[in-house]
Amino acid sequence: MTTATTHLASIGTALPGDPVDNATLAKVLGINEDWIEVFIGTRTRYFARDLGTGVVRWSLADLCAQAAEKALAAPGVDPSEIEFIVLGTATPDTLMPATVNHVADQLGLDQVPTFQLQSGCAGAVQALGVAQSMIASGQYRTGLVLGGDVCSKHLDLQRDVSGAASSDLVNYVLFGDGAGAAVLTDEPRGQRVALRHVLNRFTGLGRKPGQVIEWFGLADRYDDRQAVTEDYKAIEESVPVMAVEILWEILGELDWEADRLDYLLPPQLSGRMTRRITEELDVPAAAEVSCVADTGNNGNALPFLQIEKLLERMSDGERALAVAVESSKWIKAGFALEKV
Amino acid sequence: MEPIAIVGIDCRFPGAPDTGAYWDLMMRGADGVGEVPGQRWDAKEFYSQAGEEGHTNTTEGGFIADPDAFDNEFFTISPREAAAMDPQQRLLLQSAWRAVEDAGIPPRSLAGTPTGVFVGIMGNEWAQLHLTDYANVTAQVGSGNGYCMTANRISYHLDLKGPSLAVDTACSSSLVAAHLAVNALLSEECDHALVGGVNVALTPALSIFYTQAGLSAPDGRCKPFSAEADGIGRGEGVGVIVLRRLRDAIADGQRVYAVIRGIAVNQDGRSNGLTAPNRWAQQDVLAAAYRRAGVEPADVAFTEAHGTGTGLGDMMEIKALGHHHAGRAGTPMALGSVKGNLGHTEGAAGIAGLIKVALSLHHRMVPASRFAAKENKRLKLRDHGLRLLKAPLRLPAGPAVAGLSSFGMGGTNAHAVLESAPPEAARPRPEDDAPVGGIGAAVFTLTAPNTDALRRNLLAQADAAAARRVPLGPLARAGNRVKAGHRHRFAAVAGDTGELVARLREAATDPGLLARLSGSPDGRPRVAFLFTGQGSQHPRMTAALYEQSPLYRHFLDEADAALLPHTGRSVRDLVLAGDEAVHSTRWTQPALFAVGYALGRTLEELGVRPGMLLGHSVGEFAAAVLAGALPLDGAARLVTARGALMQELPAGGGMLAVKAAREDLEERIAPEPLVGVAAINGPTSTVLSGDLEALERIGAEIQAQGLSTRRLQVSHAFHSPLMRPVLARFEAIATEVGGGVPEIPVYSTVRGRVLDGEAMDAPYWVEHIGATVLFGDAAAALLTEGPTHLVEIGPQPVLSGMVRRLGRPTSGTGPAHVLPVRGPESAGRDLAEALAELYRGGVEPDWDAAYTPGERVAQPLPPYAFSTEHRYWARNPVRAPGTVAAAAAEPASAALAPHRETETATASVLTLDPPTGPADPVAEAVLGAVRLVGGYTDADVVLHDRLYEDLGFDSVMVMELKNRLEARLVGIGTLTVQDLLPRLSSVGDLVTFLRELGAALPVPASLGDAGENRTLMEEERTA
Repeated sequence: MTTATTHLASIGTALPGDPVDNATLAKVLGINEDWIEVFIGTRTRYFARDLGTGVVRWSLADLCAQAAEKALAAPGVDPSEIEFIVLGTATPDTLMPATVNHVADQLGLDQVPTFQLQSGCAGAVQALGVAQSMIASGQYRTGLVLGGDVCSKHLDLQRDVSGAASSDLVNYVLFGDGAGAAVLTDEPRGQRVALRHVLNRFTGLGRKPGQVIEWFGLADRYDDRQAVTEDYKAIEESVPVMAVEILWEILGELDWEADRLDYLLPPQLSGRMTRRITEELDVPAAAEVSCVADTGNNGNALPFLQIEKLLERMSDGERALAVAVESSKWIKAGFALEKV
Repeated sequence: MEPIAIVGIDCRFPGAPDTGAYWDLMMRGADGVGEVPGQRWDAKEFYSQAGEEGHTNTTEGGFIADPDAFDNEFFTISPREAAAMDPQQRLLLQSAWRAVEDAGIPPRSLAGTPTGVFVGIMGNEWAQLHLTDYANVTAQVGSGNGYCMTANRISYHLDLKGPSLAVDTACSSSLVAAHLAVNALLSEECDHALVGGVNVALTPALSIFYTQAGLSAPDGRCKPFSAEADGIGRGEGVGVIVLRRLRDAIADGQRVYAVIRGIAVNQDGRSNGLTAPNRWAQQDVLAAAYRRAGVEPADVAFTEAHGTGTGLGDMMEIKALGHHHAGRAGTPMALGSVKGNLGHTEGAAGIAGLIKVALSLHHRMVPASRFAAKENKRLKLRDHGLRLLKAPLRLPAGPAVAGLSSFGMGGTNAHAVLESAPPEAARPRPEDDAPVGGIGAAVFTLTAPNTDALRRNLLAQADAAAARRVPLGPLARAGNRVKAGHRHRFAAVAGDTGELVARLREAATDPGLLARLSGSPDGRPRVAFLFTGQGSQHPRMTAALYEQSPLYRHFLDEADAALLPHTGRSVRDLVLAGDEAVHSTRWTQPALFAVGYALGRTLEELGVRPGMLLGHSVGEFAAAVLAGALPLDGAARLVTARGALMQELPAGGGMLAVKAAREDLEERIAPEPLVGVAAINGPTSTVLSGDLEALERIGAEIQAQGLSTRRLQVSHAFHSPLMRPVLARFEAIATEVGGGVPEIPVYSTVRGRVLDGEAMDAPYWVEHIGATVLFGDAAAALLTEGPTHLVEIGPQPVLSGMVRRLGRPTSGTGPAHVLPVRGPESAGRDLAEALAELYRGGVEPDWDAAYTPGERVAQPLPPYAFSTEHRYWARNPVRAPGTVAAAAAEPASAALAPHRETETATASVLTLDPPTGPADPVAEAVLGAVRLVGGYTDADVVLHDRLYEDLGFDSVMVMELKNRLEARLVGIGTLTVQDLLPRLSSVGDLVTFLRELGAALPVPASLGDAGENRTLMEEERTA
């Protein structure tokens, strides 16, 4: 008996509201627009929270459900076939219930196993990996995979950041909100894209985290801890090296020639970092598929946004490889797609 | 060939101060290469982009941090000698020590063994800098240089008597050294072998050579098999591994990193140029290694290539490998080289590769090869059955085979085939039929030569234990075994790893606590066991210890089993159940015997061997068993009968402790026929025994005099006339049991002195029943023998207080009182504290008994953390000739100067050692001479320093010291070394000797030979 190859049948994404450009963000936060342009390289992003009033307009569940709705409405897909749901996120609406269950509720799905993976940039890939294993087991044929983040939870509009250090400012201008969804099947349907390989590996033994997002409860809600901290130096140093290794590991695993790779989906840290990493990855034959400069770093939504852009161009027999690095505890992630 | 195990590793490479960091560096694909440090040479001065004559085309290379730091005090090497030593010698010495520790072997335990030392080295730049200044070649400069000394120093300082040699085959040196070590182990020339490799770049000479030969990478980086490969970048490093025959390592339960299955060496012979790589010879050496290992090329999962990143070198190497691998089925063989991370570490390149392969097999993960992503397509790796390690390679479960190449510039090639350790050796498991052990808490121990080192190493251990969860038992046991042998002994008890970490950190920062938890014993400890008698028993005595300590449990069960045929009921169960019947003498006596025996045997099993024994009354039975005077069964029968017979006596008897001397009580008891003196526990501590009514009468009279009395909790009037009715029946049983002369001195409370060839037989035990317990006399006699530790054996401390009240019979601090059981709640922790105290005091425990068989597994600990306080280096970085005339003119001896990291101006006034009092000119002169010869600063040398042990003097230095003393002092005539040698134990001793001779300082007015003195002293100043 051969195990079923997982296929991606459809994709859907959701970005909240209108794009926020650097001029607007610079004005609201009272920081330099050119600085964002030059050092971050991100042009626009989307926020689920109203930039003027701070009011939350969309929850993570809302965004995930919007994205899923699109994926489920695509040709070749039937919502009634969904047998499981997996969501990867670092910013759930509540710790309980898990957001994935609210998404199921909004979609009208019931009596299915749901999973939520607590993860940063690698969460969407991990969700794909779980889905692939479930389908390969033969026990399930169709599942819904979701990824999304609402980073604006940490966008404190009351704070005066005019005197803040650049390492602190980065957190205000780097991130955005969004969600993505994909329907996976055990046979080529819809988009007919085979999921050839998924890589998900913890490599942070003995290493300090590169990124930490705290959470606060009643006992420590007034703690003076910074909610989001990043070790940008470690990230700049390690992510490119890890990205190259991920690329070559997947190529080696599949015995794919780099020359024959059609598309590369590099890690989406920021417009500037992604450009740098893409240069390091050095696969000139492959067309780069990136979105972060326009969407902001919205975490687990990014791979779906990239796949959506990829599918607009991908034709039969073409191959794509995605690389993601989660710098929190140094997780290597990536996946390979082939249109059949 | 028989497999050889790699059991210990230590190393330092660019960007990686230790083995763990080296692995991290490789796993992160990190870059260890950077700018030439200013300390080495002026990189700009020697730089020429075009690579002009006398210049190099790069300003970068792989340099290790802190090459100048050396813990000379640890090895008792004087600062002057340390300053003269090639840093490669110093680095190897420290690394060798750490590698042996990493093997789970206390380095001192190798002393005297035929352990071999094989060092690969090709750089001799220190000698080139210092041996060319002929006027200043001292004895220290001589022994501080030369390849041989790198290996011989290790053999000397670790006292290793096997083969000891250095190998120079250029870049293959350290893998060739490993080859020789493997062969020495196979021929059983040695049972342990240390293989080292070292390379420190002190001059730009090789960089210039590489540039002139067209082999130097402009960015200072080797880019093995990369399309961007453009030559060699130099790298530094030091690495030492410990090898053993695999079967020996497995038999000893050692952790094995990996196994060397085959290793071969050959030569290019008359090839296409002396320094050109030769593909055919490389091909042959691979074949020879595969053959020796008994593997097919296709079995090899990955190979650590020589991989210098030169066009020709890479091409030759791929072709040679391709010859063996082109035809392989399945995935191509993975290939990489750590030179991409470090540069070419030359003499250390072989060991760098060997350690990388060993760690890869150990972690079952091969790091990616730096610069591999941009593969050199012209090498056509795929066609040769090869692929570059562009990402880390996870090795599949099961045995994995790896290769390692190292090729020398002059054509000496080496290749090794390694395999992952067999599962039982990679993670040793406890033995199945191991003896019982475990005390219920762990004693972590660590030793160091001084308190600073102690602190530093406690913190290193705390950090490591905090970083990752490690089971406490194996961790503490590893400390007991490996961290032994230095003068200052630290011991702390902990119940879990978290508590241990906190304790270690606390001790490292709190000098008071550190002092309490450490000791530096002077001589051999003399341990006495004192066994308690009746009155010390209580329900559930030692029950908590019984529950926590398998070792104690074993011996209490053993005593119970011996008693059971006679008691008819388990004494152990009675005690553990908390039965008040333990206060009836019928049960008290066997129960106390059982506890005393079990506790005594537990301590003996832990390696605490008493040199003196004393038992208070019934406590003498357990003492007699430990002394070998009574067998366990016999003593069990005797003590049970004793208790039962006494129980039969009518009630109405009791005992009264009185704070008075015996003589003062004589008058009162003379008229009382039913009362006797039961015990004399001290000069003013007497126990009366007999008829209760009579005792009450006497007690009332004594109290009326203002003296305090106390009724003892006993069922009968022991050691009183009331005991007479049992004597005949007891004697009958005692005669059957018999008894012999103790093999360990027993201080008898019957005789009030040590038994002198007297048997503890029937007459003795009969006399014992009625006789006054002369504890005070027996204890005083014992104390005159100078015990260092009095260990109280019983359910609660009683005798220690009595001994303290005896006063101090001799001068000094007196013995330490050790209490393995402190009271009703006492459990494993108190026993562990007792063991810790004994260890601090010099006892050498049999540590394995303190751990359960499951805890007796090898557990790696961080190796010794050496001090970086002292630094030795050439004073000025190397300059091009003629650039700065002054630098060239400076004598090289001035460059040989010890300096401290935070150097301050040396005090111009000599610091006097306090005991000598102010202004002792002779002592001052001697101290000055000693400092000068040893190269110490003023504060470093004091009068009580020992010349050999503390200051690292050797015969050459003694000769020099003699000359210096003759130059500084008058009135001592001509010193002969023969006269001097016996008086050199300490600096103070030397001063005394010279004063005896009539030494004085030369007075400026008195000329004569003083003129000569002055000349000599001036010479000293310029030296």
